[in-house]
Amino acid sequence: MQVLNSPTQTSPSYATQEPFLIFDNLSKVYPTPTGDFVVLDGIDLAINEGEFVCVIGHSGCGKSTLLDMVAGFRQPTNGEVRLQTQAIQAPGPDRMVVFQNYSLLPWLTAYENIYLGVKSVFPGKSEAIKKRIVMEHLEMVGLADVANKKPSALSGGMKQRVCIARALALRPKVLILDEPFGALDPITREELQEELLTIWRDHQITVLMITHDIDEALFLSDRVVMMTNGPAAKIGEIMLVPFARPRERARMMEDPKFYELRNEALDFLYHRHAHADD
Amino acid sequence: MPTLTFSDSAPNFLTRPLELHLHSLRTMAVFVEVDHIDRVFKLPDGGEYIALKNIDLQIHKGEFVSLVGHSGCGKSTLLNILSGLDLPSAGGIVLEGRQVTEPGPDRMVVFQNYSLLPWLTVRENIALAVNRVMKKHPQAVRDRMIDHHIEMVGLQKAADKRPGQISGGMKQRVAIARALAIRPKLLLLDEPFGALDALTRGGLQEQLMKICQENEVTCVMVTHDVDEALLLSDRIVLMTNGPEAHVGQIVDVPFPRPRERMEVVKHPNYYSLRNEIVYFLNQQKRAKLHKAKPVVAMAANGLEKVNLELGFIPLVDCAPLVVAKEKGLFEAHGLSQVTLNREPSWNAIADGVATGRLDAAMMVAGMPLGMTLGYGNQRPRPMVSALTLSRNGNAITFSKRLFDAGVRTLGDFKAAIDRRPDQVHTLAAVHPTSMHNLLLRYWLASGGIDPDRDVSVTVIPPAQMVSTLKAGTIDGYCVGEPWNARAVSEGSGVVMATDNDIWPGHLEKVLGVTEAWAEQYPKTHLALVKALLEACEYCDDRRNREEIVDLLCKPEYVGADEAHIRQGFLDPYNRGDGSQPEHVLNYIQFFTGKANYPDVSEAVWMMTQMARWGITPFPRNWLAVAERVKRADIFGQAAREMGLVDTGRDRHPIHLFDGLVFDPDEPLKYLDQFAIKRDLRIEEVPMDELTIA
Amino acid sequence: MTAPLDIRPARSRFNLQKFANSSLDALKGLVPPAVAILIFLVIWQVLTMGPDANLPTPVRTVQETWELIINPFFNYGGTDKGLFWQVWTSLQRVALGFTLAAVVGIALGILVGTSSLMYSALDPLFQILRTVPPLAWLPISLAAFQQANPSAIFVIFITAIWPIIINTTEGVRQIPQDYNNVARVLQLSKSEYFFKILFPATVPYIFTGLRIGIGLSWLAIVAAEMLIGGVGIGFFIWDAWNSSRISDIIIAILYVGIVGLLLDRLIVFIGGLVLPEEQKQ
Repeated sequence: MQVLNSPTQTSPSYATQEPFLIFDNLSKVYPTPTGDFVVLDGIDLAINEGEFVCVIGHSGCGKSTLLDMVAGFRQPTNGEVRLQTQAIQAPGPDRMVVFQNYSLLPWLTAYENIYLGVKSVFPGKSEAIKKRIVMEHLEMVGLADVANKKPSALSGGMKQRVCIARALALRPKVLILDEPFGALDPITREELQEELLTIWRDHQITVLMITHDIDEALFLSDRVVMMTNGPAAKIGEIMLVPFARPRERARMMEDPKFYELRNEALDFLYHRHAHADD
Repeated sequence: MPTLTFSDSAPNFLTRPLELHLHSLRTMAVFVEVDHIDRVFKLPDGGEYIALKNIDLQIHKGEFVSLVGHSGCGKSTLLNILSGLDLPSAGGIVLEGRQVTEPGPDRMVVFQNYSLLPWLTVRENIALAVNRVMKKHPQAVRDRMIDHHIEMVGLQKAADKRPGQISGGMKQRVAIARALAIRPKLLLLDEPFGALDALTRGGLQEQLMKICQENEVTCVMVTHDVDEALLLSDRIVLMTNGPEAHVGQIVDVPFPRPRERMEVVKHPNYYSLRNEIVYFLNQQKRAKLHKAKPVVAMAANGLEKVNLELGFIPLVDCAPLVVAKEKGLFEAHGLSQVTLNREPSWNAIADGVATGRLDAAMMVAGMPLGMTLGYGNQRPRPMVSALTLSRNGNAITFSKRLFDAGVRTLGDFKAAIDRRPDQVHTLAAVHPTSMHNLLLRYWLASGGIDPDRDVSVTVIPPAQMVSTLKAGTIDGYCVGEPWNARAVSEGSGVVMATDNDIWPGHLEKVLGVTEAWAEQYPKTHLALVKALLEACEYCDDRRNREEIVDLLCKPEYVGADEAHIRQGFLDPYNRGDGSQPEHVLNYIQFFTGKANYPDVSEAVWMMTQMARWGITPFPRNWLAVAERVKRADIFGQAAREMGLVDTGRDRHPIHLFDGLVFDPDEPLKYLDQFAIKRDLRIEEVPMDELTIA
Repeated sequence: MTAPLDIRPARSRFNLQKFANSSLDALKGLVPPAVAILIFLVIWQVLTMGPDANLPTPVRTVQETWELIINPFFNYGGTDKGLFWQVWTSLQRVALGFTLAAVVGIALGILVGTSSLMYSALDPLFQILRTVPPLAWLPISLAAFQQANPSAIFVIFITAIWPIIINTTEGVRQIPQDYNNVARVLQLSKSEYFFKILFPATVPYIFTGLRIGIGLSWLAIVAAEMLIGGVGIGFFIWDAWNSSRISDIIIAILYVGIVGLLLDRLIVFIGGLVLPEEQKQ
């Protein structure tokens, strides 16, 4: 367990690296007729290259605002988000977002949905290479045989796989996931979590994921960032998840540490930072 | 239906006054009777879909029951039938003696998507129900009622808002208030929080729990959230997958009320119950996948079945199975396709073998006997054990806190209990029928501590022992390695006694199969016994132990820290009490000293102890039962064919550390000597009727 | 925005600024349509400036119809009335025909929606009849009523009724099963079910039907009046064409468009009064 404001201390395998994605005293304030509304207040976090970080917190804790600022959809009021040394100012293909509600174009096939992005990001590549990139990524998520199906013919889990493939086909430096599995049934959710871990390991990509699910966060991430409740949400605690990789769910459930961490997170979210919905 | 539940499996297992009280409450008259319900849907193509098959369930007044299962298991159909919105094809629902034939306000439903009327305000939505159902009351009374329920869910400020202006969580609170305002006899909740995010659910669950507690409502809830079910329910009904969904298992939830989330989560049984349910759901998922390719017996090499699924628990004494697999001993005996399944708990092992998912498994010593006798009021299942896989290897570990408080011996523990009679000490074992449980109880009772009345002894799977001990929800446990070594090395526990201090050389793990399986595949069974016997011999050769440690360290087997596996197995044993680590003779014994013989005397001793603690009845025909389970004939044939000694010890007296001597010919006299014991049930077990179910 | 030196207390400055901002925003909203109209007028002017243009320029249109524009209320008897009276007569016909259509349509829609027998019997019929163009009904109604005015009203009625019936039916059939379950569990009586659940749940669909219906009515009346003559904006246009008063036609079209828009907005406005926020479409 690690406490607030020591973001530089990370899991051992990354300890030697330079921070990759940096949140530097990040704040977001919305002016309203009745005064300023502070959504996020002083977020400091450094994520290393190849790290898997989950952000967890109650609704309204500004998780999505945080994510929007990494993606470049919104600008921080104070501070900045830096990818390597570059301050993020606009959306770009180096940071791909996967949303909960799939956001696939319904009139395009799975293949075309991915191809669309590949074409615009790699205009200089030959047609054969672009085609190969698309097919490789469809294969990666095990959907090569439904390449020509439209989203309406795919299950929720398959759609989310296409989204992940589409995001990764653009070779982003950071993959941002906004509750990607929230709408899926528990079985499919677990399958996709496992696939995501494999993909993450093979691609060596940095992942920032927002979730509501403690078990999901513990299974996937290297660190779990727990947010306090808004307004003026900040990082309450950062939990190191030390389970060896590659991870296997059943093995993790045997580890006493799992129950310690789970209870710690439950305590944080339901006890110390319990949240009323009105 | 089988009820593999903890409090049922050993009535005295979780002895706290409150839980006993709960049990007596259960015996009260049935409030809702779900009587052998089928639900068949006609398909457009003329066929039929059997959604529910023979659902039989009794719900008591004031009880909170959850229905848990995968989507499509018919749990919502069952709820609709309870409400009267849907009718069963066969069977029926009886509420307080009257059959349910149509929906009515005495069985109010809280739907997943709230079902609030969007054109009415919060208050008007509740008023619609109250005005309709409470017609005979004057308006003033009804208004008070409406106000009271708005207040109950804390929505005074939102009373005049329409559903579209409030959050999902608030909407569901309105739905709950509307349901409770009309004082239903039965509250039915259909995934009430399913549409809310995992964290918003938390507050609502606590509120619902409080309301149900205060109003003594009888509730049936459909959910797929295991944590939610555990927090709220008295019983959790696990449904199998459709078609023909039925009640697979009923789990009793023993947490005392009023409940508080963090207390519930820290209850020593929380994660074992949770894992039990998750395990059930995973089995259902697996069954779904398996349906596509049913497993058939593959005959080869002169054996009836060479594709075997064997179950094991990641413990150091699973070594014979690992060695047989890794050193090719199964193949050498013709068993060319053996898969080792790493199981999460002993219950999973028992369930897996009983349902045929596993062909055979490494079992705790008393499991074949316990299953044959029907432990925990389950249907008896004749089991066979023809091989003892290991002896010794257990220890009793107490928490560092107790040690630091001066508890060094059993006498110290007794004194500590006497000093603080208000404080409940909880100890854990891995299964009711395991030697851990029997030895721990024997050891406690020998020190004048009643394991049911002076302390609480509970069941927790091995892997969760250390975390529960660290969390402080249990004070000690009896378990095999590497879990004692791990607690010692992490500084959270101290070994109080090893089995060498209690009964050196006791049997520990055995090979178990169903009698039906043994009769169906006799040659395969023999080959399996031979392969494992050879593996046991290999394991006891100390020259092989370094290699075995390496095998056990593999993640697919035990996967624990090498240092913890080596403890006692190869390295000196560290008790963690400050004494020098020392080598323990035969810390785990796999072969030497006729270790593998299925010993009838030991079986009888275990039956006395299981009867002593009320886990099983004591069979009047104890010898017949013991000989039916312990198949010395199969062992003998295997040993002879391998050129090994085919005999064990004759019926022999057993000496335990307290000086009492067990004479296998006089088990009842032996039981008489114990001051601390439960009421004995002595029953004739009609062995001929115990045929293949 | 740079504000001049201000010595008033902060609070009032805040309000002032807010007021300035909001009125500025409102003005900003008017700029794009104003520009679009201006461009349209310029194009029109350019295209019709030539000596042999068939249509008048905007300037000429205004000059020629100035009398009509500044004095919509004149009444010289017969069909020689100001534009207000022309529109007013048409609106009266629409009001009568549309009201009839609404009453009959909603009642029929609910009936058909609640009974699956009626639905299967009548829905195909409705689907066929709704595609019949309004003017196709005119000869039949003239034959039936023998008079111009009732015939026009009947055409309005028959044009507007189909979307009202079909949408109401759809609304009844689309009542979420949950609401019906609530009614069943609470054992609501038939009348309670109708007033507490069925009708409110159907209202948004009814308003969709009414909105489509009013649009069609207005389309139909202009066309019908062209054929049956008498006072009314439709005949005014036809009369202007016969008298080659192109400018009058242009100004009448403008009136027709604005009135049509106002009718549509009126239904939306009433719907807004009746419907709670979350049921608006």
